[in-house]
Amino acid sequence: MSSLVIEYTKEKNVMLDMQNLTKDDLRRLIAERTGSKHVPDKFNIVADTSDFFRVEYNDVMVLADHLYWVRSYEKEGRFGLDDEPKYWVRRAIDLSDGSTKILKMVFHEKFETKVGGLIIKCFRSPKKEARILDLVANHKNFMHGYGVNDTAGNNVRIIDYISGRQFCDIIVTYGSSHEDYFYNHFPKVLDQYIELVAAIKFLHDNGEKHGDIRRDHILFDKELGVNRWIDFDYNYMHGESKWSFDLQGLGNIIIFLTGRGDVLVPDLYKKQREVFDTLWGEDLNISYKNRVANLQKIYPYIPDSLNRILLHFSFGAQIFYETTNQMLDDLADARAHFS
Amino acid sequence: MSTRNFTDLAQKESNRYVMVAVDESENSKRAVMFLGDFFGRAKDVFISILSIVPEPSEDYFATDAEQKQWVADHQVKMNKVLEGYKNILADAGFNDDHVDARLIIRQCESIGDAILEEQEKLQCHIVVVGRRGLSHNEEFIFGSTSNKILHHAKNCAVMVIE
Repeated sequence: MSSLVIEYTKEKNVMLDMQNLTKDDLRRLIAERTGSKHVPDKFNIVADTSDFFRVEYNDVMVLADHLYWVRSYEKEGRFGLDDEPKYWVRRAIDLSDGSTKILKMVFHEKFETKVGGLIIKCFRSPKKEARILDLVANHKNFMHGYGVNDTAGNNVRIIDYISGRQFCDIIVTYGSSHEDYFYNHFPKVLDQYIELVAAIKFLHDNGEKHGDIRRDHILFDKELGVNRWIDFDYNYMHGESKWSFDLQGLGNIIIFLTGRGDVLVPDLYKKQREVFDTLWGEDLNISYKNRVANLQKIYPYIPDSLNRILLHFSFGAQIFYETTNQMLDDLADARAHFS
Repeated sequence: MSTRNFTDLAQKESNRYVMVAVDESENSKRAVMFLGDFFGRAKDVFISILSIVPEPSEDYFATDAEQKQWVADHQVKMNKVLEGYKNILADAGFNDDHVDARLIIRQCESIGDAILEEQEKLQCHIVVVGRRGLSHNEEFIFGSTSNKILHHAKNCAVMVIE
């Protein structure tokens, strides 16, 4: 068996004799990659991921002649719930080189989500995500990976693990006050945001939606020093405007970045009644009524050129963005204010 | 004028040709009823009832069979709806050969654009649509087909029925 280990570690893509692979072989491989104290006694070798609930911690998944040692499942906050487990998404160690991967198994899910009182039909599509992974393989602002079929034909996406925190969790730590943040940090944050919008434009130009634009879907890759969009297996049934739901997500993010966090109506009511009293319904976020979109009322030093962008996502908006191009034009004007 | 020569462009000079874009909604039904009331006694008005059903992308379906079934189900459902609209126009006085119904199920980025493509092909004089009466945030999230048609239609009149 030692020859197998040597061969497998020497060249990543070498074909393994999967038929004759024993559990002892795998234990030795795991030991070599991770240290002997972690080697599991009991585990299964999984090549068919149809029932992802049966994939357990310590199992070894075999995908396209690669071996992945399965670790914990991933979690995600959604619909107001924190850290909901995603049983179809597992962290794993690639036993060819010891790198961490995220394995996303097939989960066809159709559901309705509510935004601003409206019901939007959404669905999860492994096919879409695999297609976009191919499209963005050379784009720095997206997660990278590829899709492979397991023995049952399920498209499992193997994603490179991104080490870093969420972009929005980082920016809220900037500055000693909002004013300090706005003058000393925000211009750089705006540059980063513009880069992220340009990345979404790249998707749209290629006919693809991101499908689930939220602030926790942007990770700051600390190795590369760039922000990267993650999780694009969602899609939504669009109406007349194909990109509007993506644009709504981008709008919520720029409002968050400008405010250095969500500016919530109940907080203003409790802590800044004099500001609260100046607000009208039209100043609020069209998607989330408890958030303020017209932030110039809270922070008067926000320039008109930037505030106008925020107002596109307010109840008072008379016109909406239909494309990322329109938004990027306005963002360029807003950025010029800080030059 | 029979159904098959609805696209005979030579006849466009002498006939008044109306295309009404519909779905299964009440406002579409109102638009068809309006046409019946307004043009029912006119001898030279021809109506094409058009339904564009936007087919979800392949991503929506787990299997090809599921996709085929979706199309088949919508075909049956919409053909029934279109038959109902034809009956409304017949009751209003339209001869059977003055009314044409066409169902198009396909992927489209914008239903408004797809309707205008049909208008261009058929060279109809008036495009009629019902208005859904979208709320402000509905228009924000979904966009408005009637607004799209109003803003982008060329070489035809547009009627939006409330």
